[in-house]
Amino acid sequence: MSMFIRSKKLDIGCYVNARVILDHTKRKAVAEAEPERQALRYIIRNTSLPARTRAIAQLQLTQMHPYTRPTGIRNRCTMGGRSRGVLRDFKMSRFMFRMHALAGNIPGVKKASW
Amino acid sequence: MTVPRARLLDLMKAQCQLFSTTFNPEGLRLGNKVLRKRLLGPTLATWYPPRLVTHKDMLREFAPFELTVDNQKEDQRRDHIAGLKYRGKSAPKKIRTAQDPNAKKKKR
Repeated sequence: MSMFIRSKKLDIGCYVNARVILDHTKRKAVAEAEPERQALRYIIRNTSLPARTRAIAQLQLTQMHPYTRPTGIRNRCTMGGRSRGVLRDFKMSRFMFRMHALAGNIPGVKKASW
Repeated sequence: MTVPRARLLDLMKAQCQLFSTTFNPEGLRLGNKVLRKRLLGPTLATWYPPRLVTHKDMLREFAPFELTVDNQKEDQRRDHIAGLKYRGKSAPKKIRTAQDPNAKKKKR
C-alpha cells in the first residue's frame, strides 16, 4: 500500500465512496505497472530464454504489489458506486441507468414501445 | 509443380518483414502474443470521470483579487453558529495542553 497511497486530492468527479476511491487507486497502479508486468510475462512465455531467467521473472511477477494486478479492478457505477449490474456502455448500474434514462438524461436512450 | 520449402520460407520472411511480424518458421513459443497486445492501462484508468472545476474552486482561485460572491448557504451556516455561540450552545473550545499532544491518539 505504501507504494500506491491514494492521491491526496480527490481527482475523480463522479459519485465517491471508499470503494470507488480504492478501485480508482488500483486502476492507476495497474496503468503505471502494466509495461513492467507485460515485459515479465513476455520473458516467462519465451521458451528460447534460459530457464533461470524465466524462473526469476516468474518470481518477480509474483512479488509485485497486488494492486498492480489487472484482475483486481472492478467496474463500478459512476453514479452510485455499485459493483454489480453495471452497464459498461453507460458506466451505470441497472437502476441508475433506468432512473436517468426515464428522466431523459441519457442522450439517445428511449424506452421501447411498440 | 511443387514449390521448394526454402522458397516458401523466403516468402514467409518477406511477409514478416513487410508486415513487421516475427519470423518464426519452427513455431517456437517466443511469447510474442504478450507483446502483440496493446496496453490497456490508459483505458482502464479513465473509467471514472476526472474532477472538474467547481464553484468553490473558482471562488478560491479569485479570492486574491478580492472578488466576492454571495454564498447564501455559507452565510446562513455562519449566522446559525453565531446564534449558537451567543446562547452559549456552541461546541466547546479544543483544549490544547503541552503535556499530552497525542491526546487524540491515546483515546483510540
